Amino acid sequence: MILADVPLVGMLKTRMGWLQSRQRVLAQNVAHADTPGFRARDLEPVDFKKILTQVPMQRTAMAVTNPEHIAGAASVETDRFGQPRASGKFEIRPSGNAVALEEEMMKVAQTQLDYQTATSLYSRSLGLIKTALGKTK
Amino acid sequence: MDFMKSLSIAASGLRTQAGRMRIIAENLANANSTAGASGGEPYRRKVPTFQAKFDRDLEAQVVTLGRVQRDKSSFISRYEPGHPAADGRGYVQYPNVNSLIETADLKEAQRSYEANLNVVSATRRMISRTLDLLRV
Repeated sequence: MILADVPLVGMLKTRMGWLQSRQRVLAQNVAHADTPGFRARDLEPVDFKKILTQVPMQRTAMAVTNPEHIAGAASVETDRFGQPRASGKFEIRPSGNAVALEEEMMKVAQTQLDYQTATSLYSRSLGLIKTALGKTK
Repeated sequence: MDFMKSLSIAASGLRTQAGRMRIIAENLANANSTAGASGGEPYRRKVPTFQAKFDRDLEAQVVTLGRVQRDKSSFISRYEPGHPAADGRGYVQYPNVNSLIETADLKEAQRSYEANLNVVSATRRMISRTLDLLRV
């Protein structure tokens, strides 16, 4: 579809796909709320830092015109954002099940809201394109 | 569509919890069932088990009710010499069903059922948002 070539629309489509998959993972967690030995899973959130380091960056070294100059590191500092700390607040029941139903419900609500935001933005962008085409309403 | 998969997974949870409730109801209903003949074994408590089963179509693990096990704990015996099911010493065996435990289990099953329903309604809202895009 040609619409997906519009960067914003394409990005929203990716986002909606991600949320759709996440909903599936969360549904699985909730369904297994009482299965012995089951651990809750989640999709890895999109890591901006990782994407940033994957992009080939133009790295320039500092010029050393005087022997007393310090040669700067040619690489950019990548450790500035710090690793997100894994939340270790899960509980394991005697049966080995580690699904916190409350937490899962929060995630389901969050996913639903995020999806709503994405679809709203999507229809807004479509409206924008319509306006650009000169169609009123 | 992935949403349909989410719905199917939640439906498997609903089905399993409903089956669990059925077994609990069976236990509760038989809490006082004694043996027909004298000295026989009364109703033995049933224990539902859960199983994770990988569904190839859904690309996810659905939950199913496994084999129904029997609780191997000992029966409760009461001294009732006049009871038709009493053994030679006058004791009657009563089922190993504790209604307090069954009620607590029932509550838990109910909560899990509601959680699955919640997933279904959240997913349905997401689907209707998707369909709304057609009306732009």
